Amino acid sequence: MAQPYPYTYYSCDCYDAKTTAGAAKRASAQLQAEDEDERTFDPRNPRSNFSLYPLEHLLYCEDCQQIRCPRCVIEEVLNWFCPSCLFEVPSSLVKSDGNRCTRNCYNCPICTSPMTVSSLDDPTNPSESGGPWILACPYCHWSTAETGIEFEKHTGITQQLSKVANGGKPIPTPKEREKERERRKELENRKSRDILSGSEDSPTQDQRRGDASPNLDDIYLNLAAFYKTQLVAQAPSNLFSPHDINFSSPSSYSRIMNLYSSTTSKKQRQKKAAPMREAALELEGLMIHDPSSDAAAIERIKKEGWGSTLSPAQKRAQPNPNIRFDTELRPVASLLMTKRGKRCRSCRHILSKPESKITSTRYKIKLLALQHIPRLSLRALTPTPPPGAPAATPFDYNALRSGIPAHFILHVSNPIFDPIRVTLATSSTTPGKVASRVTILCPQFEVGANTDVWDDALSSSLTPVKRASMLGPDGMPQIEAGKIWDRGRNWTSVVIEVVPGFLKDPLKKEDEELGEDEDVLEIPVFVRLEFESDVSAEDRGLGDSLGKKGERERREEAFWTVIGVGKIAPM
Amino acid sequence: MASGLGGERKVSASLSRSVRGTTPRLQDLAATPESPRTPLLRSTSSLFGSPGGSFRTEDEYVVLELGSRFVRGGFPGESAPRCTLPFGPDEQRRVGDYRQWDPEHGQTRRKRKRGQDWGQEYELYRMDLTDLDLGLVEDRFERTMREAYSKYFLLDQKPRRILLALPPRMPHALMSTMLEVLFSSFQAPSITLLSSPVLSTVGAGLRSALVVDIGWAETTVTGVCEYREVQEGRTIRAGKMLSEEMARLLNTALEDELDVGAPKPEVSFEEADEVITRVGWCKSKPKSNRNTLYFPARTSPILEEFEDAVESPEPSITIPFPKNDPPIDLVIPFAQLAKPAETALFAPDTALNEFDDNELPLHHLIYRVLLALPMDVRRFCMSRIVITGGVSNMPGLKARILAELDALVQQRGWDPVRSYGSASARHEALLRQKRESEELRREEAGDKVSESLDSDNSPAPLSAGLQETEIDQIDIKLSHLAIRNGPPPTCSVGGTIRGVDSLGAWAGASLVAQLRIKGIVEIEREKFLQYGLQGASREKEISVVPQRQSMGPGVGRGAGERASWTLGVWA
Ligand SMILES: [Zn+2]
Ligand SMILES: [Zn+2]
Ligand SMILES: [Zn+2]
Ligand SMILES: [Zn+2]
Repeated sequence: MAQPYPYTYYSCDCYDAKTTAGAAKRASAQLQAEDEDERTFDPRNPRSNFSLYPLEHLLYCEDCQQIRCPRCVIEEVLNWFCPSCLFEVPSSLVKSDGNRCTRNCYNCPICTSPMTVSSLDDPTNPSESGGPWILACPYCHWSTAETGIEFEKHTGITQQLSKVANGGKPIPTPKEREKERERRKELENRKSRDILSGSEDSPTQDQRRGDASPNLDDIYLNLAAFYKTQLVAQAPSNLFSPHDINFSSPSSYSRIMNLYSSTTSKKQRQKKAAPMREAALELEGLMIHDPSSDAAAIERIKKEGWGSTLSPAQKRAQPNPNIRFDTELRPVASLLMTKRGKRCRSCRHILSKPESKITSTRYKIKLLALQHIPRLSLRALTPTPPPGAPAATPFDYNALRSGIPAHFILHVSNPIFDPIRVTLATSSTTPGKVASRVTILCPQFEVGANTDVWDDALSSSLTPVKRASMLGPDGMPQIEAGKIWDRGRNWTSVVIEVVPGFLKDPLKKEDEELGEDEDVLEIPVFVRLEFESDVSAEDRGLGDSLGKKGERERREEAFWTVIGVGKIAPM
Repeated sequence: MASGLGGERKVSASLSRSVRGTTPRLQDLAATPESPRTPLLRSTSSLFGSPGGSFRTEDEYVVLELGSRFVRGGFPGESAPRCTLPFGPDEQRRVGDYRQWDPEHGQTRRKRKRGQDWGQEYELYRMDLTDLDLGLVEDRFERTMREAYSKYFLLDQKPRRILLALPPRMPHALMSTMLEVLFSSFQAPSITLLSSPVLSTVGAGLRSALVVDIGWAETTVTGVCEYREVQEGRTIRAGKMLSEEMARLLNTALEDELDVGAPKPEVSFEEADEVITRVGWCKSKPKSNRNTLYFPARTSPILEEFEDAVESPEPSITIPFPKNDPPIDLVIPFAQLAKPAETALFAPDTALNEFDDNELPLHHLIYRVLLALPMDVRRFCMSRIVITGGVSNMPGLKARILAELDALVQQRGWDPVRSYGSASARHEALLRQKRESEELRREEAGDKVSESLDSDNSPAPLSAGLQETEIDQIDIKLSHLAIRNGPPPTCSVGGTIRGVDSLGAWAGASLVAQLRIKGIVEIEREKFLQYGLQGASREKEISVVPQRQSMGPGVGRGAGERASWTLGVWA
């Protein structure tokens, strides 16, 4: 469900009113050629999904006097915290921890629910520590026991988990890996010497000490170490033998030739500078394709079936997204979240700033659009049942009836302290495949200032329109074009007549099926506001700031809104 | 000869642009086919002074890889990206539209939008710009990057440079759109562009390779020589076609399974995609014409056994289709799940002359690209085949590509004039190959270096055949020399088909950034915002060729002092 009907979305036009003369803009120059006001906003255009927001999501820059959406603000991270344990993480640790909580907060790799640390203790024979422990998902019941991982302590799960691979085997630390690489390098060198000395039957069981093929991290570290040594070896020769080291040389052939090794004529050149070469060993990161792991995977899919494999989303959430089977899953440490301040992109003024305390949801500053922009809301105009009669069934916004005119009340409320003059505009038929007819019966009207409630009580000059006397014979109130429907202190309502379109074109015999949301009736409404307000101190300039109190200026604001009326019922 | 090859294009040649219907290219920077480009990786010695040292603030990078269906983002020195974010319909909804979390919505099958291609909603961009709304690309890319920054990167206020891995020769309008977003919304001070095939080469520990990137819309085969693209070919046999084949297979199977009255099944893109990634596989070698193919002894015995075993009962897989109407568990023979890859990528049932140039089966395309390479580069590249891209993870696929290619080479050798398989063809091919490599050695011995990298010259006249025993002795001698004096013998492996695994373009980019190697294409924020990509052409005299000649060898300019920038392979 998108949003419950009826709803109102507000458009921020920053995407096509960018201040930077962008290249993308040059590319779509024909768009600009059209007059902006002439262009009807089309809520069906896929681009509109990126510029429409519920009013509550929008901020307002008082300096630019414009709506600010998530795209036209700049965010600044104030602090980092774990949403699960609410622990604040110092900025120095955030990146090295992988932007994840390093305490006990994990999400289920199957269903993403938060996991809990549970004891595997046998109640009949309790252990001293209460352990062993596992991470378990209370929702889908997956647990680390399924991947052969148990913990000795119920705290410091991250630390324990980083040391154990699935199946319970220990993971070597980076230092141990470094050592292992050195050891194997030594072994490799010895082997080479053996070949030179002619002893062909040198030991060949120098290969991996473990069984499994090296993991992603190992290969990466091997590669990184290899490139580093190559670059270090490169640096001095750069100075002494520039010829061979000029990577931008066009005669790269000569360098390939060097790689081919050579006859005596080349030998001398090689002594001058060993050219940078490719990785030659697994411990340098070279992985010759070995089809056996693929073959094993095929066998396994065949044997264990669909259930043992992972969905694309499950894979993407994993630290190593290249895994294939459920036994390779790792619990996913909770992503940290941030508290962020927001600034206006064009003038850099602060628009919102939350309190820094993690547990607080309050803001020091928050300039909401709903304090500056009138709220438009729609509801169906239903007949008032005569006294004593049973209440009418509530209007079904999910079943608008094609071809039958329906009336709705558009309620416009004003949040600012000055009265506003509102002009609404809409095209007579809605854009899209299903064209509905729309008439705003009173497109121009005034809305009172958002004065104090007490002021309102005292000055009752704007008396509400009395409707009761104007009920028609069918119990429906009389609607007059050009007149507002009702008004209150800081709100005014007008009537919109809508004739929902037909989902199927009766003239066409064969109809294409409707796409998602094409049966939704949405009305794009252009809203123009005119009002007079106090000139702000900044606009007056410093010199004037004392005098000319109460100077007024005329202001105008305009924006598109999209009103979702409901869903048209199939005939 | 290039014209006779159709499907392939020289990277440096100006061919592809007009085909893709893009905006005019920066002619002046494009190197002519004869003059090779400066390698994208440039070593400037000063940068490698302190290996492993921490970056200065201004050197902090964010590493991005931009594919057509996913963006991967993370930090230098890490083996895997922090996030892999897909582009899909759920990422295109309005703010406040929470239907993707609605369980009922989750159980409804998604229908394709009218007039849209298979999977179109799931791709961010396509290389053909005719029907592409660049504004929408901008909206979607911006939103996804905002998610990456605010949910996964969680960076403080320090400006971060961006290392961006892109497919080579992305149209300029599209590139501008992406760069615009990164510069203006994410405040990158500079963006370094690196091409994905070069980075995949780095991620394999190699300097030269034949990179086969099986992506979404197309498969690109790129000959990379010393970190430069020297040859390229494309085919539409890739992920999209594979997923359409899978959908077809599943629809047929579902139809057979369902009752007569049930609605005609039409699996969604998501369903087909999930089946491919979970249980899709590829036969490691073709069954049909196995007898005529030659397989080297090194092929894993597991594969042999797997291919030959006749299993009964026939193994099958149960795939749940909860979104089908009615929901169903489809039981499908396991062997069937290998068919889509077979049909989409290898098209064994179609004669070669029936293919358009842009729809060659993978092995034929690879063969053609290899064939178009200069002999000695080819010899090197064929032993460094790096298969990458989303589809390449399908188990069995890499082995199959290598086996098919091997068979093709055995059958045809490297004679540009096609010789179709006869009894003696293989023998001839072997002989030819042997002679070629001899020829190469002879050339080296004479220290003759061919100048033109891109020449399509067929092999030079063959030398008188050398006897095999002699060759072996030379090989041994060479390897001994190499160990003593130069790179290990594996660095000169060539002439046979060999696959090398790569960590992929993202990890390659992460390595490059970690090692602080400057790219040739570096775009400064201010320059871009002022001039857009046109900025590159303004100082064309500082294009790579004069620069190389005017600077002393080995004293390449550091990025800091570079007054202008070029578009390198994207020019
Ligand atoms: Zn905005
Ligand atoms: Zn936590
Ligand atoms: Zn779970
Ligand atoms: Zn502002």
